[in-house]
Amino acid sequence: MTPLLEVRGIDKSFGPVQVLHDVAFSANAGEVTALVGDNGAGKSTLVKCIGGIYPIDSGEILFDGKPVHVHGPRDAAALGIEIVYQDLALCDNLDIVQNMFLGRERRRGIMLDEAAMEEQAQETLTGLSVRTVKSIRQQVSSLSGGQRQTVAIAKAVLWNSKVVILDEPTAALGVAQTAQVLELVRRLADKGLAVVLISHNMNDVFAVSDRIAALYLGRMAAQVRTADVTHAQVVELITSGRSGDLGITQ
Amino acid sequence: MRAGPSQEDIRRHNLGALLRHVHLGGPISRAELTSRMGLNRSTIMALTSDLTAAGLVREELPRETGRAGRPSLVVRPESSRVYVFAFDVGPDRLVAARVGLGGVILDRRELPRRRGPFELPELVGALAGFARQMRRKTRPDTVCVGAAAAVAGGVRKGDGVITFGPNLMKPHQEVPFGEELGRRLGLGLPVSVGNDANLGALAEHSRGLGVSVKDLIYLHGDVGIGGGIIAGGHLLGGHDGYGGEVGHMVVNPGGRACGCGSHGCLEAEVGERALLEAAGRAKADQNGDAQQGKHGREAVRAVVDAADRGDIVAQEALKRVGDWLGLGVANLINIFNPEMVIFGGMLREIYLGSAARVRSQLTLHAMTPQRERLRLRTSALADDATLVGAAELAFAHVLADPLEVLARAGG
Repeated sequence: MTPLLEVRGIDKSFGPVQVLHDVAFSANAGEVTALVGDNGAGKSTLVKCIGGIYPIDSGEILFDGKPVHVHGPRDAAALGIEIVYQDLALCDNLDIVQNMFLGRERRRGIMLDEAAMEEQAQETLTGLSVRTVKSIRQQVSSLSGGQRQTVAIAKAVLWNSKVVILDEPTAALGVAQTAQVLELVRRLADKGLAVVLISHNMNDVFAVSDRIAALYLGRMAAQVRTADVTHAQVVELITSGRSGDLGITQ
Repeated sequence: MRAGPSQEDIRRHNLGALLRHVHLGGPISRAELTSRMGLNRSTIMALTSDLTAAGLVREELPRETGRAGRPSLVVRPESSRVYVFAFDVGPDRLVAARVGLGGVILDRRELPRRRGPFELPELVGALAGFARQMRRKTRPDTVCVGAAAAVAGGVRKGDGVITFGPNLMKPHQEVPFGEELGRRLGLGLPVSVGNDANLGALAEHSRGLGVSVKDLIYLHGDVGIGGGIIAGGHLLGGHDGYGGEVGHMVVNPGGRACGCGSHGCLEAEVGERALLEAAGRAKADQNGDAQQGKHGREAVRAVVDAADRGDIVAQEALKRVGDWLGLGVANLINIFNPEMVIFGGMLREIYLGSAARVRSQLTLHAMTPQRERLRLRTSALADDATLVGAAELAFAHVLADPLEVLARAGG
């Protein structure tokens, strides 16, 4: 199977500090790939390189097996790569539909096509079996943390995206809402998307992931199938970059 | 000696098959039915008009298809007219629901239940009372075609007698629950009874995550742990109907005492009591009523929540329970090689809160080929899985012989 998204030999420096060293990473359609690593290991930088926020110094990005150039977020979006950041970037004073179409509104002539947008937003939420949101004309300020996360994820899915990258989607959520978000993450992959999940919570990682990619000090320590590793091995990879036969060989 | 099925048998079978498509798959066009069932158009037309005449389905013009040609009629289940009663008897709650053809929950009643052995007349009275209330609210043209109950205990195949239920009744009793409930309902319908976890498996298989999955295991956590095993598309019932009691698989010989009389059963090591005791939260239980709410789903959720917030005792409790759960699931995977394992009831919270431990155990103890393509999921039907399963059991007769059952129900 060709990975839907693959990066090879990515190097990235900020001034004299090299943050990513020859990083390889891939994500398959229909799978959740967990991206784990300690603070400062380079998870967010890698994701921002994929999303076109940071230009890469060297290396290549392949989408569906073909090399692509991502020079900015719009390039990434055009390919079908959506990133949901930790801060979610939702507007509190707008309702759910307005948020989902923010900056990409549907038009009919010079007017906004509210009906079409509402229908499509509803369709997306229904398709994801989201039952927690009462009305899609609700203001985002009235939503709970879990509902906001849900809206942000639905927004990413709305655009026929193929790869969805989620940065710590369950941080700061209670148990009930964490469960809902994790189930949503799993459903995205089961619908055929390639999902990349950044998380520090090993239970979340093991609950929904098919593969785990562990970064250690800017290097990819290992990318393994979740079914083949134990919690202890993953923790070792995160903290020392090695675990038995796995990991960085010096 | 018979040469083969008669024409009448074939017609009955086809009517049932068509109704099953509509019941499980929702509204569907005649053209689609033709291709799915592999029958010709005139047969489909004859079958649908029989079902329409009986009031089981109705045909409508579809909304704009945007395609050329005369649109094919869409066949819809008569959800608001044809219904069953579904009941769920759990350790902490009683649920009764009126479920329409197509699986729509039309109405429901719920009552929290005090832990401890039930009194049959009281229990049956409460359920029948709910059914009466819901029935009074229906229109005169509606028809009840079946009734079934999910019970957190062992149910003997054939007669709906509950023969054990450590979390529901006194030991060494045989309770003719199905018969008694049927009598009190007074609908002239037999009441089918099934084990709750078995019915949960059936529900996930027909309407949940396991729709296209032929081999799945559904694990249901309430006070105890129950299981339902679907193998090759069929529920594994066993010789007497007690199959799938995975909660009483011994994982820790000489371990904690179990309600069934044995020691170290999966239920004893993973069930609610094990978790709450390990988390140091079980003592309050003995104070009785004043401590209501200190057990059940809320208490389990509170432990997971505390662990998430950094409570070390709660974390250790979850790790312990997760290890045993993983070991139990590893055994099941090695024996049954399922495509999917679904965690339902309170096991949903426990799995999500201890997945690292559970899956580590699988990596260590499940054989590689079996775990290669295994999918672990949490229930799509959540707390309604067992109730939905009961409704499916109640509809089973209708789907086997639609016209006969409807005629008997007076529709």
